[in-house]
Amino acid sequence: MTSTEVIFTDVSKFYGEVLGVNKVTLHIPPGITSLVGPNGSGKTTLMNLMTGLIRPGRGSISVLGLSPNEPEKLMRVTGYATQFDSAPRWATGMEFVTTGLTLYGYSQHDARDRAWQALDQVGLTEAAERKVAGYSKGMRQRVRLAQAIAHDPQVLVLDEPLNGLDPLVRAETITLFRRYAAEGRHVILSSHVLQEVDLISDQVILISNGMIVAEGEIRGVRDEISEHPSQFIIRCRDASRIASLLFCEDHVTEIKMNDDRLGLLVLTRNREEFSQALTRIALAGYSIDGVIPSDENVDALYEYLIGGGRS
Amino acid sequence: MAIYKRGYERYQGPLTSHWTRVLVLPRFAWRRLFQQRLVLILMIASLIWPLLCGLFIYLSNRLDLLQSLPGDIKNMLAINGKFFLIFMNVQSVFSVLLAALAGPGLIAPDLANNALPLYFSRPMTRVDYVAARIATLVGLLSLVTWLPGVLLFWMQAGMAGWTWFTKNWYLGAGILCGFGAWILVVSLVALACSAYVKWRIVAGGLVLGFFFVLAGVGQIMNAVLRVDWGSLLNPTQSMNIIWSAMLGVEPPSGPGVWVCAGVLIALAVLLGLVLERKLRAVEVIS
Repeated sequence: MTSTEVIFTDVSKFYGEVLGVNKVTLHIPPGITSLVGPNGSGKTTLMNLMTGLIRPGRGSISVLGLSPNEPEKLMRVTGYATQFDSAPRWATGMEFVTTGLTLYGYSQHDARDRAWQALDQVGLTEAAERKVAGYSKGMRQRVRLAQAIAHDPQVLVLDEPLNGLDPLVRAETITLFRRYAAEGRHVILSSHVLQEVDLISDQVILISNGMIVAEGEIRGVRDEISEHPSQFIIRCRDASRIASLLFCEDHVTEIKMNDDRLGLLVLTRNREEFSQALTRIALAGYSIDGVIPSDENVDALYEYLIGGGRS
Repeated sequence: MAIYKRGYERYQGPLTSHWTRVLVLPRFAWRRLFQQRLVLILMIASLIWPLLCGLFIYLSNRLDLLQSLPGDIKNMLAINGKFFLIFMNVQSVFSVLLAALAGPGLIAPDLANNALPLYFSRPMTRVDYVAARIATLVGLLSLVTWLPGVLLFWMQAGMAGWTWFTKNWYLGAGILCGFGAWILVVSLVALACSAYVKWRIVAGGLVLGFFFVLAGVGQIMNAVLRVDWGSLLNPTQSMNIIWSAMLGVEPPSGPGVWVCAGVLIALAVLLGLVLERKLRAVEVIS
């Protein structure tokens, strides 16, 4: 059966007595998916499982309909860049990527062409014939990415791919991820930079202690966290009057006024009713310049769902 | 959720065969190895003895002087199983030195750099990886073991004639099979040491220690306990007994051929288990 999703069904993986992941059930659609969680939470284990590097102790995994029990097929559709700086120091960037491609079965000629294209995509053509030993941290990160994308995989799995990149290369890399996603491919990555995750992800998977805490689009996940009131920033001219009107609403639990008295931070337990209340206030003639949800981001989700264990 | 165009198409072009892919690693490793001066020097040094043996074969077949020597001396200089056994023993030392030099660089750096996921996230199994690493050593050690050995055998057969060949064909088979078994043992020892110790130099020392220190320990045990099974601790001695049987030479005192073969097979299995245990895509530190 052909599938376009990466599916985990009740997957558990223990390394002896050490927990990797426990009872994970996931459906990852194409697009950019970020794995977020503290160190040791199981992000890398999930990545190793979906690339067939390790097998689950329990449950099943399907990557686009392929099982890790068919590594020959699976590894042709997946590209993996681990968090480790594994490129041999004595090889040139070109040799490193080319050799990787010949292991996939490309002829030497094809491998060189594709390696060049991959190095071009990560902006490393000028340094392609230089030894990896002479690369900066960012360049080594890019050559790692190049070897993962060189065989044009459908599922790209990247462990901390943006670490060590300068802002320009970071932006180019994110553009590359978006292009991959736009072609209907999977880009599954882990990152500690939550603002970045927010910026690039179509969906997030929050993981803690080997368990999936939440998955889905950021807004959808936020909607389901009922125990934490939603936070909105309202930019308006008559902040004190709007605050007094909002206080009359049952769903509003807290309001803080900005020092400049031109803005409010409102906490509400019901987003729908809050929206209606704001509409009523606006129709009553009060000027509202803008309303921005302030906790519809991975940072807030992380804080709410995982809490103090952030690394 | 974004709406995707699904414009991606998988590569449908031709791919090389499985074993061509596996042999990518040995090809890469050989290129690296032959760039090392020490490997080249050792390789050249290890070919001196085969050259001398070749010269000896030539002289023994050509010089009338040798033909006219008295029987005892003539027998001593004859090209027979003993001659090839001495050749194999000398070359086995060079093969250990080469394995100690080349072997540790094959796995230890991959483990130290966490590079195994790079291999195993490609269509390559652990068995393929080990086969590729063994092939690297087999290729290297073949140049100093069975290849010159078989060449010498054919040289002698060519010079001594068909009669000699029909009487002594087993020498050629013994050289090939004996060195084949030896290369396998030496390669497994070198790879297991390389997998067990992540530092190349220490792994190289461990390979040398395995062969030379164990030989000493075996001798000491034989001397102190007045036994002969101490030789079983010495893979070189065990292999020498097997080679003697293969070449039809009186074996040195010690355990029997089948006991030696059993010990070497057990050793190979043990080393295989070490590799199985150490070569994992993911290292878990509990």
